[in-house]
Amino acid sequence: MSTDVMIYANDLSKSFGSFRAVDKISFEVRRGEVVGFLGPNGAGKSTTMRILTCFIAPTSGTVRVKGFDVFDSSIDVRRSLGYLPQRAPLYLEMSVLEYLRFCADLRHLDNGTFNKRARSVVEVCGLAQVLGKEIRYLSHGYRQRVGLAQALIHDPPILILDEPTSDLDPNEKTEFLEYLKQIGKERTVLLSTHNLAEVEAACARAIIVSRGRIVADGAIEEIRAKSGKVRRYTISILEAGVGDANAKAPKPTEIEATLRGVPGVKTVSIVPGEDKSATYELTTERSVDLRPELFRLIVDKGWVLLELHRDTQKLEDVFRDLTIGDERRNRVVGGKDAPKSARAKAAAAAEADEEDDEEEDEESSK
Amino acid sequence: MKESTATAEPGLVGVRERSEIAGSGGTQNNILTIARRELRAYFDSLVAYVVIGGSLLGMGMFFFLFQGGGFWQVDRVTMARMFEFMPWTLAVLVVPLVTMRALAEEKRAGTIELLITLPVTDADVILGKYFAALAMIVILLAATLAYPIAMFIWPWHLGALDWGPVWAGYLGLFLYASAGTAVGMLFSSITDSQIIAFFLTAFTLVLIHVLGYFVEYLPGVLGDVTSFLSFQARYAPFERGLIDTRAIVYFISVAVICLLYAFRSLESRKWS
Repeated sequence: MSTDVMIYANDLSKSFGSFRAVDKISFEVRRGEVVGFLGPNGAGKSTTMRILTCFIAPTSGTVRVKGFDVFDSSIDVRRSLGYLPQRAPLYLEMSVLEYLRFCADLRHLDNGTFNKRARSVVEVCGLAQVLGKEIRYLSHGYRQRVGLAQALIHDPPILILDEPTSDLDPNEKTEFLEYLKQIGKERTVLLSTHNLAEVEAACARAIIVSRGRIVADGAIEEIRAKSGKVRRYTISILEAGVGDANAKAPKPTEIEATLRGVPGVKTVSIVPGEDKSATYELTTERSVDLRPELFRLIVDKGWVLLELHRDTQKLEDVFRDLTIGDERRNRVVGGKDAPKSARAKAAAAAEADEEDDEEEDEESSK
Repeated sequence: MKESTATAEPGLVGVRERSEIAGSGGTQNNILTIARRELRAYFDSLVAYVVIGGSLLGMGMFFFLFQGGGFWQVDRVTMARMFEFMPWTLAVLVVPLVTMRALAEEKRAGTIELLITLPVTDADVILGKYFAALAMIVILLAATLAYPIAMFIWPWHLGALDWGPVWAGYLGLFLYASAGTAVGMLFSSITDSQIIAFFLTAFTLVLIHVLGYFVEYLPGVLGDVTSFLSFQARYAPFERGLIDTRAIVYFISVAVICLLYAFRSLESRKWS
């Protein structure tokens, strides 16, 4: 294991009763990497992060953070980490400054270091206005920032952030991701999120988990390329029946049939859109660009083209492809193939009890 | 933002050096830091004021007014009545109120996840909270000193008080509180509802206390066991001014066992 490996997980599993929240996950994160940890709700992201931060112990497997084992050198692991849980862990009766001071004290930061770090953290998280305020009076966005400040206060070499941007507004998000990229050059960042645009903006690499297993791990481009060659075209054409000027305008059925006739087109579907136009979504498996052909066809017909564009393969499509198929995978230990069995449900409920803040997640994924 | 990256490196080195220096001395500091925060939280919320104000008021009323005229009826220079009532106040109100939030609230609010993932041990967390709660009760006990002082030293001189039994009584109360607080910590560690923690603690403490009153009606071994377990039976000598070393050992043992159990229950979240 090279010394550059900051987070090392091998065959990591965690069961809650008979429910496998994390199932033999293995991955490594090196120094200078910002890695997006993706997956649907209840996929095991938070559980994995809690294991990395020594909040819970794995059922089996090896986890090393900065070379320290989570069992043998738990304190050293926690010393090298900055962690923001899904729900910002704040003492509401404290002021922001007192709170940061408290966290710094428990990390044995001396006064000089604290002052210096506090200044930079306050700047990064935009907390200058609220430093003296009690946390209970702060809005969600500010609370999230305070939680973030707590994770950064000791300038940790490794940052583990569980949905750090969930309560930030779009401006804050952009700024924060920019900052992550900055510090990610020297440090190691593992952040979980549902927002794929964020991952594309901040991370070079993504790990996608579904139902406790890793379904993809690699550079974003690689992952994007991984799922088939399905391409999507969106075409919008002025429709018949709107005024006399458009005598030549076609009927929707006519358009659909024509588009279907184009070689290479696999499916055509109507997308509900504006009144005066019909929008169609075409998919094809060929990598050849169909746009010139489509344009010529429409011109030949004399139709009025309002819009034509090709979607490049989105991370979201990949995400959907990778995780939906996995939804049905049976994860009940000892069971056969009935993922929705009473036992699985009971186990899921048990987990929801266990991890109170994931209760909603569990609910929605059922 | 650029500035922060520039200052980042020295900061990082600072952390490492400190942690190496801190090494073994860290754990007391951690306990102290946690205890200080807890104590502040008591005074920032209403708990501290309700506990101190409420129990002083209640004590005063029981001492002077209720139960057949109380202190005046007895017509002796003694604080015994106070030491008879204080354990009740501790069991029913003070200890449950002070300990209920200790861990239950952290679990409910999710701040436990912060504490546990900071580089402190679970024992630091439990002890920090325990000492804060105990300190809170000691503050209350110190406040009750106002009664003997006001009645026998200044401004009134109702007689010459023998202070020996008073100090013995306070030692008894302190031991009683030490054990009771540990019981409260235990219940606070097994639930994430303050209310449940409150009632479980109050119920248990009252039960253990009341046991003492049945000792004389219970025959043989049963009576022995009851008197062994009862806080009241253990505390009674102190009430009369006797310092019983067996009771000291008993109270401390109860405290240690309960704290160990609280520690285990906090740790069990890892394995569930």
